[in-house]
Amino acid sequence: MEIYLPIAEMSVQWIVILSMGLGVGFLSGLFGVGGGFLLTPLLVFYGIPSGVAVATTLSHITASSISGAVAQWKKRAIDFKMAGVMMLGGLAGTGAGVWLFAIMRRAGQMDLVVSLTYVPMLGIVGGIMLNESVKTLRAQARGNAPARIHPTNHVWIHGLPLKARFRQSRLYISIIPPLVIGFLVGVMSAIMGVGGGFIIVPAMIYLLRMPTNVVIGTSLVQIIGVAVVTTMLQATSNYAVDIVLAAILVVGGVIGAQFGVRAGAKLRGEQIRLLLALLVLGVALRLLWGLVITPSDVYSIAGL
Amino acid sequence: MRRLLCLAFLLIASPVSAEQLVSGISQDLIQITSNYTGSDIVVFGAVEGDQTADSRSPRDVVVVVRGPDSDITVRRRDRVAGVWVNRDAANLSGMPAYYFLASTRPLKDIAPPDALTHYNIGLQNLQPDAVHSHHDYEPFRQAALRHLTKDRLYTETPGGVEFLSETLFRAHVPVPAEVTRGQYNVEVYLFRDGVVESAQSTPLFIDQTGLERRLFNFAHNQPFSYGLAVVAMAVIMGWISSLLFRRPA
Repeated sequence: MEIYLPIAEMSVQWIVILSMGLGVGFLSGLFGVGGGFLLTPLLVFYGIPSGVAVATTLSHITASSISGAVAQWKKRAIDFKMAGVMMLGGLAGTGAGVWLFAIMRRAGQMDLVVSLTYVPMLGIVGGIMLNESVKTLRAQARGNAPARIHPTNHVWIHGLPLKARFRQSRLYISIIPPLVIGFLVGVMSAIMGVGGGFIIVPAMIYLLRMPTNVVIGTSLVQIIGVAVVTTMLQATSNYAVDIVLAAILVVGGVIGAQFGVRAGAKLRGEQIRLLLALLVLGVALRLLWGLVITPSDVYSIAGL
Repeated sequence: MRRLLCLAFLLIASPVSAEQLVSGISQDLIQITSNYTGSDIVVFGAVEGDQTADSRSPRDVVVVVRGPDSDITVRRRDRVAGVWVNRDAANLSGMPAYYFLASTRPLKDIAPPDALTHYNIGLQNLQPDAVHSHHDYEPFRQAALRHLTKDRLYTETPGGVEFLSETLFRAHVPVPAEVTRGQYNVEVYLFRDGVVESAQSTPLFIDQTGLERRLFNFAHNQPFSYGLAVVAMAVIMGWISSLLFRRPA
């Protein structure tokens, strides 16, 4: 069964798109990440123009994040104050991102910049998470108490001014790190059509030292805010949001997310982190591969 | 534009005494609906006129369908410090978004290369109206032809035009689902001895219709409301799903 997408101006097999939405929705419910970093490349690979893919993926992120956030909210696992601070940074970042987007696209260096920033970032984040979760799992297997994370590792963060109390996260830290993280993620969201959960979640755990149980709900709320604003920007400035594509992705996404949340409840925090680490490393390797292998055709076309 | 003038000139310059071409298309409007998966149009026609006069030399029919002009940016990657980077680019404007050619025989047997160049017929003779490039753009043009042929937007089918009788001919034109909307031109050329004797051009329109058309207009005319509608849909669906899938308790 094929369906025509009015904005992408092409026909797609809706069952394939629905499956992509389902699969990515499942992961998003499981890990508390939006899944844009998987969905955007999948859609582009399927043949959707990258501008439309970037802009429309954000709807999928919005829906599956809301679906996940409601579930987390019922568990009272959301730090709204932290999410709000990060969102402020995120909105500024989105504005900057839309501006950068235009510059890079004119220069034809979009893919390069995306890959060059993604590879080290994902590589480092994934590596740290993998190392930590494996250590914790090993310690548990030996019957030891799980290794405690010492906040003293990041003294510099605690020396920053503008401190605020985040009760849900049991933290008393400066609002500068969450603002900066929010800003960086906002930039990425506008450029790459990702919510940025795969960066926010590790940043919350390892930089801000937030408890894992509030991390997922809080990152989802922040992602929703940024995704909604970016969708509006993309719709009004680039006319690149395809409502038919969005509807199919959303249906798949929300159903997948529900199963993801359930699967996540059966796993322990460090197991989830191990799986997410492997996923993040996998994407980093894939991008690195694309940068270094000799392309089958050194010419590429754009802008038809 | 240059191409249209050339065609107009051909039409005027065709000798009146020679054979005349009459052609038509099965559909002059293709409407893109929600289940549009590409379509097939038929270009048909007849060669009228004095058949006996010079029946010894073969005559050929070439059918060309040209899509609306578009800008194509072609980039070339080079290896810099082990990483493949887009280095050089060429912007080719005025290349058709779709190009289909069918002929009774391979083009090289129909007319000499310089004649084909003169008439602007054949994939290899597709030239941009303007080029933005710091280098020789030929390899970039070749790359564009290669990529668009792979995407089935550019096609050249020798033998795609068949004569059903002495005078009647027919060609099938596949219109893939990925075509751009706009005005297309169906051009039919009658060749004899490597020279165009008669030519005809018919417009073909491809447009969205029904719900697709309304959604497209909505997105372009009221982008803010459209954006809100998309966001609202996503939010509501997300919310509903979390109500439907209550915890199994």
